[in-house]
Amino acid sequence: MAATSLEGADAPQPRTAKAAPRAVGRLRPWQVMIALAALFVVISLARQLSGGTDLTSVGQWGGTLSFAMPIGLAGLGGLWAERAGVVNIGLEGMMVLGTFGGGYVAWHTHSAWLGLLAGIALGALGGLLHAYLTVTLGVDHIVSGVAINLLAPGFAAYLSKLAFTTPAATAQGGGQKQSPPVPGFSRITIPGLSSWLAHLDAHHWFLVSDLAGLIGGIVTGLSVITVLAVALLIGSYFVLWRTPFGLRLRSCGENPTAAESLGVNVYRYKYAAVLVSGGLAGLGGVFIAMVNSNFFLDGQTGGRGYIGLASMIFGNWRIGGLAAGAGLFGYTDSLQGRADTTSVHALLLIVAVLLIGLALWNGYRRRYLRAGIGLAIGALVVVWFTATKSLPAEFLVVTPHITTLLVMGLASQRLRMPKADGLVYRRGQGT
Amino acid sequence: MRRIGRFAAAVVCVGGLALATACGSTSTSSQAHKSGSSSSAGKSGKITKVGMAYDVGGRGDQSFNDSAARGLDKAKSQYGFTVSEQSAQNGETDAIREQRLEQLAAGGYNPVIAIGYTYAPALGKVAKKYPNTEFAIVDDSTVQLKNVADLMFTEQQSSYLVGMAAALTTKTNKVGFIGGVDNALIHKFDAGFTAGVHHINPKITVIKKYLSEPPDTSGYANPTGGKNTANGMLSQGADVIYSAAGSSGTGAIQAVHAAGKGKWAIGVDSDQYQQKALAADKSSILTSALKNVDSAVYLFLKSVQDGKPLSGTQRFNLTNNGVGYATSGNFLTSAVQTKLKAAEQDIISGKITVPTTP
Repeated sequence: MAATSLEGADAPQPRTAKAAPRAVGRLRPWQVMIALAALFVVISLARQLSGGTDLTSVGQWGGTLSFAMPIGLAGLGGLWAERAGVVNIGLEGMMVLGTFGGGYVAWHTHSAWLGLLAGIALGALGGLLHAYLTVTLGVDHIVSGVAINLLAPGFAAYLSKLAFTTPAATAQGGGQKQSPPVPGFSRITIPGLSSWLAHLDAHHWFLVSDLAGLIGGIVTGLSVITVLAVALLIGSYFVLWRTPFGLRLRSCGENPTAAESLGVNVYRYKYAAVLVSGGLAGLGGVFIAMVNSNFFLDGQTGGRGYIGLASMIFGNWRIGGLAAGAGLFGYTDSLQGRADTTSVHALLLIVAVLLIGLALWNGYRRRYLRAGIGLAIGALVVVWFTATKSLPAEFLVVTPHITTLLVMGLASQRLRMPKADGLVYRRGQGT
Repeated sequence: MRRIGRFAAAVVCVGGLALATACGSTSTSSQAHKSGSSSSAGKSGKITKVGMAYDVGGRGDQSFNDSAARGLDKAKSQYGFTVSEQSAQNGETDAIREQRLEQLAAGGYNPVIAIGYTYAPALGKVAKKYPNTEFAIVDDSTVQLKNVADLMFTEQQSSYLVGMAAALTTKTNKVGFIGGVDNALIHKFDAGFTAGVHHINPKITVIKKYLSEPPDTSGYANPTGGKNTANGMLSQGADVIYSAAGSSGTGAIQAVHAAGKGKWAIGVDSDQYQQKALAADKSSILTSALKNVDSAVYLFLKSVQDGKPLSGTQRFNLTNNGVGYATSGNFLTSAVQTKLKAAEQDIISGKITVPTTP
């Protein structure tokens, strides 16, 4: 019994007769590559047809990276905790701690890297509190998380008032709600390549310029912290899915009773997972304060922690899906902010093509009702696109949220969270 | 075990709430040479305790709130009173603002100054409850009570002048406008700026973007968003960008500076060239549209001190130096300055009427 459960944790779909064929999020790598390539062609086509050149420009991809990274880091933090069975809605609060820790220490020591460490440490401290409350005391995970989300901003606001209103701080531009400017991290730009790609991008050739824009966005002004974050995403995959440590950690989220019967110290694994979770959220905070900006500002996180959590659910508690969710949100958030109305308007065309494509697929699979509904909505979006020249401003600023909701609604009907996620586990409760 | 869990949860929750609200922002700083008398303001006129409720961003936002803080500091150094300074948070409700103002009024702070139109509904209620306390509100004229001074600015006029400066400076015939929140107040900046640009050359394109839609006020405190929008405008060819977006403007100015020589940012509310937090980027700040909240706050405090508190709508415009533009850095050539001065006279004389809605 216990053995099968552990195996279930290894390969997420349980081996029962009723199990779904291959769940979403378990696509093979080549399928993912083809899907991404197809999406890229659709975007490129939409750019060509609409003239919304910002859809694939160097600046847009750079913006996407900077908006997606904090969300991805928060989501990764959520993934670590939830894979060990602890729901961490306190990510937002831990991010706030990260912004303050980074801003304060980096300003005080003139060292961005010490700031980074402090941000991670403060985030992890939030994680420690969450772990103590939920694992040791057995408090409901949501209650503890919400408490941290209330506590952390107050804590940061209080400390920032103490730290940044001193004469030394105000002389450098600090105030009760913000720190003086702090040193940043180095950025990588490949001299010849970046400018050549920007040049190609400006020609607006089908696919060629789009690809140049994408690569250019990656190799122009790339922060070393972005590299670090991507490494953490990939590293987390290997640690959680390819090592005994990861297997045990995930077994605590699937079936802690069984894990304990096999000698796994469930409390210790949960503590480790939530600590890492807090540290990653703290790093996300550091990214917001020190990479996307150069000072701590009260309320700077703007709910990114919650969006990170959503992107993790969107990604079916898996790294690839989470990265896709964060990327999607980052892409649309950056695009709507770049003030190129034609490009945002062209998103409608992309949505229409995707809807119609999905409808055709459903038709091929003989799900005619779904196909019909999909086609009808797709046609409506096409009409909307052709009948208007731009989207209303009220709609524009919520584009990222709407897009994420749409995609979640379309693709996320077969999500499967860790079995014991969010349940309070007491040591020895299975005996 | 279960009971301990619930208890701990309750403790954490209550503690969290208490801290979050209490730590929100209360600080009391006292003046070294405090005046001896402890009588509260009012009939005698002497101010002893001033309550200051800042907008989102608070003291140190390098812009709007800082300007108000300067006026307060100037009065404080002259009259020597005690100050309680509080700030609004992103996404808070009218009830919380009301509580903040009421706390100040009930605590004997008189006068109480509310910075920003978001306080209007709360101020309306609190001012009625405390008829003996003098209140002032910046950027709103909906509260008309005997003990309330509505400090209003003609931002469209200063925006018009910096719009002219932008039009006379641009080489690409494209300029950008970044608004914090899509509301009537920021529309005044937008309208003035656009009119000023088109007064010089109607063919110039003004690319516009508002960072958030009301009631979401996050657009005033989102430097990442400001930076992203400025980058978007720069890549569309804009070479002068005016942001009326509180501390989000910091991000825009940094983006413009990072784009290199020949790209200009225009600051807002304070002379942003002088601000320490922007010292690294100041060589890209062409000018700033000034909104002298400091002099308005100072004049109000002075009126209370003199025993003749201002009341009703008080307009601060080009005529009385309530608004204007900055020349720090000397980036505006003398030819440009001459044109701006002429336009300034035309606005004062009424020859030019600046629109308030785009």
